[in-house]
Amino acid sequence: MSSDEPLRRDGAFVRGLIADMKEMTWDRIGEHAIANAKRNLVFKDDGKSIAALRNSSMGEGDSAVIVAAGPSVRRQNPAQLLREHNYRGLVMATDSGIAHCLRNGIVPHLVVSLDPHPTRIVRWFGDPKLREQDLEGDDYYRRQDLDPIFADEVRANHEIIALMRQHAPQMSLALSTSTSLQVVERALDAGIRIYWWNPMLDDPDEPGSRTRALMDMNGFPALNAGGNVGSASWMIADAVMGKRRVALTGMDFGYYDGTPLTATQYYWEAVDLVGEDRVAEVFSRIYNPHMGAWFVSDPAYQWYRECFLEMVAQGDCQTYNCTEGGILFGPNVIFCPLKDFLAQAG
Amino acid sequence: MKDMLKGNFTPKYQVSVDTDKKETLEEQFERTAKARLGGSIAYVSKKRVAWTDDDKKKS
Repeated sequence: MSSDEPLRRDGAFVRGLIADMKEMTWDRIGEHAIANAKRNLVFKDDGKSIAALRNSSMGEGDSAVIVAAGPSVRRQNPAQLLREHNYRGLVMATDSGIAHCLRNGIVPHLVVSLDPHPTRIVRWFGDPKLREQDLEGDDYYRRQDLDPIFADEVRANHEIIALMRQHAPQMSLALSTSTSLQVVERALDAGIRIYWWNPMLDDPDEPGSRTRALMDMNGFPALNAGGNVGSASWMIADAVMGKRRVALTGMDFGYYDGTPLTATQYYWEAVDLVGEDRVAEVFSRIYNPHMGAWFVSDPAYQWYRECFLEMVAQGDCQTYNCTEGGILFGPNVIFCPLKDFLAQAG
Repeated sequence: MKDMLKGNFTPKYQVSVDTDKKETLEEQFERTAKARLGGSIAYVSKKRVAWTDDDKKKS
């Protein structure tokens, strides 16, 4: 075990899953992402390339705050802190972070979306086509330890649609070509400005690269997204927007200790893999020394953590994790409260 | 052992045995179940942004 490895309690099974996560992710999204990118070609001229945001003046100064939607958000309320501090720097939100920002009076400058899932992701933008019967077969939102508004999905959907109607035209969207038709149509309908990018699916410098084929097809650059939308947001802040101090909020990559496993993102998928009686084996308990507390995490989140720490090591910015919870700590990540970051970033 | 497995007749046609490993139903199920636990998008080690040639000219 390296000294960077956190104190953890789990078994060989979960470590095997983390090791397989690259292949598991490809099996989950690979062909889907490519098919979506091909289909989204018809919307190419409805937006610009993300290259137009290079070293953009969006947000004052050299700092950025990313708002994601991990379980810490309901406890820490980062959007409220941003408003109280009258933060003028770049505010970015993951698609899942839109509701928290808008409901707390913060209109993010830039939203990021990438997951190719055909039905779930559009809900973060408010889905005008959502029907009550659509909810019966999918408890993804109401089951999880998210913002409590998602417990009443229909009401939450109405509220997000209303907020988007009011604020979407003030927002920009860094949209991966891998996203579903529903997300693209919703973004266009809402009047949000689109900046396209391709997800890096393999090494674009290798012969036969599928990423390079996407770039040649649509003329957009490819970004290494780190496996998830929060990490992709960090990459955009650092490598596209040129921000030099980047704070993360709501990027827990885990759950508070004691959270029922049923309230975790991949619970039913884990049950399908090992059965209900062994489902605990798919999860780890990890000690966060900055918080002096244990957190629960699944293999995907732990893979995100590993990828992110590797990305940060090659980044140009200083990275501050202001989540105040979760498992994202390690070399090159300054773990501090958001109010401390805001005091120095202005 | 080899003597015991000689057989007691000569087959009419040459029987070929496919030695390539085929995924069993159980393995197939496991792979599908695992895929549902995968991440939202890929990660490519040690890469950041691949700009297009046009982007490079403009920068």
